Amino acid sequence: MPANKLLLSSSPHFFSQATTKKVMLAVIIALMPSTIYGIYLFGAHALFLVLSCVAASVLSEWLFRLVTKQALSIGDFSAVVTGLLLALVLPPSTPIWMAILGAFMAIVVAKEFFGGLGQNPFNPALIGRAFLLMSFPAAMTTWQKPLAGAIDATSAATPLNMIKQGVDMKDVIASVGAHDMGGFYWQLFLGNRAGSIGETSILLVTLGGLFLLGLGVIRFVIPLAVLASTAFFAFCFGMDPLFAILSGGVVFGAFFMATDYSSSPMTTKGQILYGIGIGLIIVLIRKLGGFPEGVTYAILVMNMLSPFLDKLRARKYGFVAPKKPAPQAAAKGDSK
Amino acid sequence: MLPKSFKGGTHPPERKDRTSGLPIEAVRGITQVTIPVNQHFGAPLAPIVAVGDRVKRGQRIADSDGRMTVPVHASITGVVKKIEPRTQSNNLDGPCIIIEADGSDETAFMAPLDGFSCTRDEALARVRDAGLVGMGGAGFPVHVKLAPSKPIEFVIANGAECEPFLTIDERTMIERPGDVVEGVALTMKLVSAPKGILAVEDNKIHVVAGLKAAISERGHGMDIAVQVVKTKYPQGGEKMLITALTGREVPSGGLPMDVGCIVSNVGTLVSLVEAFKEGKPLVERGLTIAGGACERPKNLLVPIGTLVSDLVQSGAIAVNEEALKRVVFGGPMMGVATPHYSIPVQKNTSGVLFMDSSEARFAEEGNCIRCGRCLRACSCRLSPALLNSAIKAGNWEEAEAIGLLDCIECGTCSYVCPAKVQLVQRFRVGKQILRANKQKEARGAGK
Repeated sequence: MPANKLLLSSSPHFFSQATTKKVMLAVIIALMPSTIYGIYLFGAHALFLVLSCVAASVLSEWLFRLVTKQALSIGDFSAVVTGLLLALVLPPSTPIWMAILGAFMAIVVAKEFFGGLGQNPFNPALIGRAFLLMSFPAAMTTWQKPLAGAIDATSAATPLNMIKQGVDMKDVIASVGAHDMGGFYWQLFLGNRAGSIGETSILLVTLGGLFLLGLGVIRFVIPLAVLASTAFFAFCFGMDPLFAILSGGVVFGAFFMATDYSSSPMTTKGQILYGIGIGLIIVLIRKLGGFPEGVTYAILVMNMLSPFLDKLRARKYGFVAPKKPAPQAAAKGDSK
Repeated sequence: MLPKSFKGGTHPPERKDRTSGLPIEAVRGITQVTIPVNQHFGAPLAPIVAVGDRVKRGQRIADSDGRMTVPVHASITGVVKKIEPRTQSNNLDGPCIIIEADGSDETAFMAPLDGFSCTRDEALARVRDAGLVGMGGAGFPVHVKLAPSKPIEFVIANGAECEPFLTIDERTMIERPGDVVEGVALTMKLVSAPKGILAVEDNKIHVVAGLKAAISERGHGMDIAVQVVKTKYPQGGEKMLITALTGREVPSGGLPMDVGCIVSNVGTLVSLVEAFKEGKPLVERGLTIAGGACERPKNLLVPIGTLVSDLVQSGAIAVNEEALKRVVFGGPMMGVATPHYSIPVQKNTSGVLFMDSSEARFAEEGNCIRCGRCLRACSCRLSPALLNSAIKAGNWEEAEAIGLLDCIECGTCSYVCPAKVQLVQRFRVGKQILRANKQKEARGAGK
């Protein structure tokens, strides 16, 4: 009997078809409509930004793994996802070298320094963006008018910028080519406005998000909590809830950034609080902070809380509360 | 009405179609059996025969006086050739009694006994003497299960058979529905339970009619009903099945009787009826032989102790050695992979799988990507990914708080993991370490 060729391992002996690579590919596919639309809106430079961010991310990961003598991991496509996400949250006129620097920060500092895939406490793409925003505030807040052609790119303000600067609502509405509030919302929904490359079209971002929901790659919990709490807290602070969601990067952040596996909580209760926290911080930054937009920092701040939010586990099957909980055990309890 | 279910779980490919239509074939002419002395969950036995003794089919050959023990019987008539350690289906070597057939078909069965009219003590003694253990997997002594210290409301016949490939329970329900029903009725009588439930997954809906007919014929007028449960792994897990059917949860560290339930595999129920009606001890069992490298998959009835290699040599089954990549005793989700198949069929062997390279992929463990699929799939809601990190960090307090000791090792977490993290595998090892640590602590405190 050819005993030596038989595989021996502990059960299960069956595995699902899901792989890390397929998960990453699904995210890439989900991002394609927004990417293509962003390139259509903002021209060839946007395309170069996307390509250079992706290439720089993959190259950074490959080099880092080579230098540190670790197994190569670029085959899982997670670096492609990070590079793509970073490019999509950059202003379309970002210089290429800046984007490459951002990608390097995202991959090497935010991801590989912590141990690579699944180990990073913060969303790498957002760390890359936050780093660029702090280092080059001018370039990172210069926006380009959509469909203006790449050569004579005229700068424009995003609707959020205008609101922050106290521009009259009529002019804000006119800036997207609309005449009334209904048309304004509609234009924001379609995405014909100044903004980051991939975040403008709520329609296409949502389609990508629904695709991931349909495949089971992400759950509805985090996006729903983020969107609902942004609208709710905006309302509480006297802002227009619908505008709060349709403007800026809330929807993109809710579907693609806040749901980053590694930096978000895994338990349902944790995910709900995490999403609510993100919405609250977005509104606080927009209302009280110095920036017109706050999605990046809101998510990064809540990333910090993920390990603690993961303590909010589901009640175990057959859990029986200890009759006389010692004070210590009660504090560590398992079914709150 | 929607089929009943529990929260979580997964749905692996069923792969049952190759054998679900094949009647159980009795294998005759087995010339030698290798009977492991210990085939139950409990204290070890000692052989009570010696090399050279002639034994008859059904004769006790190993026993002990411990409570959590059941005897083992000769499954063929012949002469004891050897008593020595051999590889068992759990992949460990253990004492086995090797019997060579002498061609005689003499038997040493017990006298028939009417389980419905005899005393309770007589009945329990009969169950023990017949060597009955749970045939679904764990090998828990049936006479212990039938002597619960708490009142029982539900007797549940487990016909869920949620493991892929396996069809022996399905065939048993098709071919012997009367015995299954009578087994439930008898169990209800013995534990004074008012209700009986025959639980079947909805991929085996075609067995329901036969079971319903059998209830009116052989249900002894008791309140027995068929319940369809959702086809989902691990629906046949005792705890999951109880929750699906009754909404109750077996408390952590407890037994089904704590929530008024007894769960028995349908094969066990048939053997129970045989032990009374024919006085026949557990000397043979049905099992499914399947897998991509198995050329003529079958449902077989074989003497306990039959080496699977002998089934191949005798031509009862055929294996494509070229394609064979993995041999599994049991189902693909919870079975044991063995280095060869010169291993006996035991009381709890529900199937033997010959898996080919498309089925028996071995995936390298990747990084956990924290996707949370395992949290959603865990039938016990244990947060496997967090448990995995706690164990890797050596944080045993945290691991216990998350519920390491509550893990039923169903393997759903490892199955759904896209990164192929060895979750359940690490939990198995972790459980042993945690238990050992606790024992050490208890000893330390005692001093």
